[in-house]
Amino acid sequence: MVNTDGQLFTIEGVAAGLIMLLTAYIVVGTTSLYTPGDSHISDMQLEQMGRDALHMMNTPNSLTVSGESTLQRVIKNNDVDQFRQTFLWFANNRTGGTYDNLQFSADYYYRNNLANSVNQIHFTESRKPTGGEHPMRVTEWVQVDNSAGGAMPAVVDARVQAVLVEVLIWRD
Amino acid sequence: MARLNSDAQWIVLMGFMVSFALFFLAIVVNQSTVVGQTTAEAVLEFPKNDIVDMRSEVLSASALSTNNLTLVKNDISSLSLSRKNAIVSFRVSVAPPGSPYTKTIEIHYNNGVTAYNETTSH
Repeated sequence: MVNTDGQLFTIEGVAAGLIMLLTAYIVVGTTSLYTPGDSHISDMQLEQMGRDALHMMNTPNSLTVSGESTLQRVIKNNDVDQFRQTFLWFANNRTGGTYDNLQFSADYYYRNNLANSVNQIHFTESRKPTGGEHPMRVTEWVQVDNSAGGAMPAVVDARVQAVLVEVLIWRD
Repeated sequence: MARLNSDAQWIVLMGFMVSFALFFLAIVVNQSTVVGQTTAEAVLEFPKNDIVDMRSEVLSASALSTNNLTLVKNDISSLSLSRKNAIVSFRVSVAPPGSPYTKTIEIHYNNGVTAYNETTSH
């Protein structure tokens, strides 16, 4: 039999149900927004960290005008071991506790003046990329004097030039 | 059976207020992740590091001799275009008479989204 008892309870029940439904919708939407493939925030931090490490390596070690940076010397002498050691040390060092576990793969690009072409040289890496990583790319301009006493690969022009060092970094 | 009466109105009212407070707090939490994501995306997209790095390379290249400067200028333009998708051009000229500096450097950078132009002396 239809009567008008319990109307307030019915209205309250419907209102509470709507509120719970909306809240659940918002909460579920919130948590599913952040997925591992969409981790822009950690990407941003990784990029800045790698860029800082490269920039530290490209800071001259002395105040004189001719003072070379570690990165300039490493590229000029093709000293892959020194690069690997220094970069990993800068990238993985922490204020305290254990070392971070960043890996990298470094190339540099140079311009051939005669052919006016841009070519790549694979420099070194701490681990071969498998393709499953989620790396960030950081770059640094390096001015190298390969004209006198440089030990860069023979394909590179023997002259003063700017090369672009590109490093892929990822967290293991 | 429940009957329509006017008892406990404050309790019912408090219940509604608490539910609405929770509802708005959920909206705040929801928006906060969007804010973090869009900020990070904007930072990643803006070529701050590229510009700072290119600028420092141009300034150190400006000390080179004329021949080397031409070569390095072409290096920077070619590599920027092929690797960084950016047009970079710069010019080093003699500073105007009376200036305390010796060189004037004009730098132009454009990657299609961000343009950066600078005239500096040193």
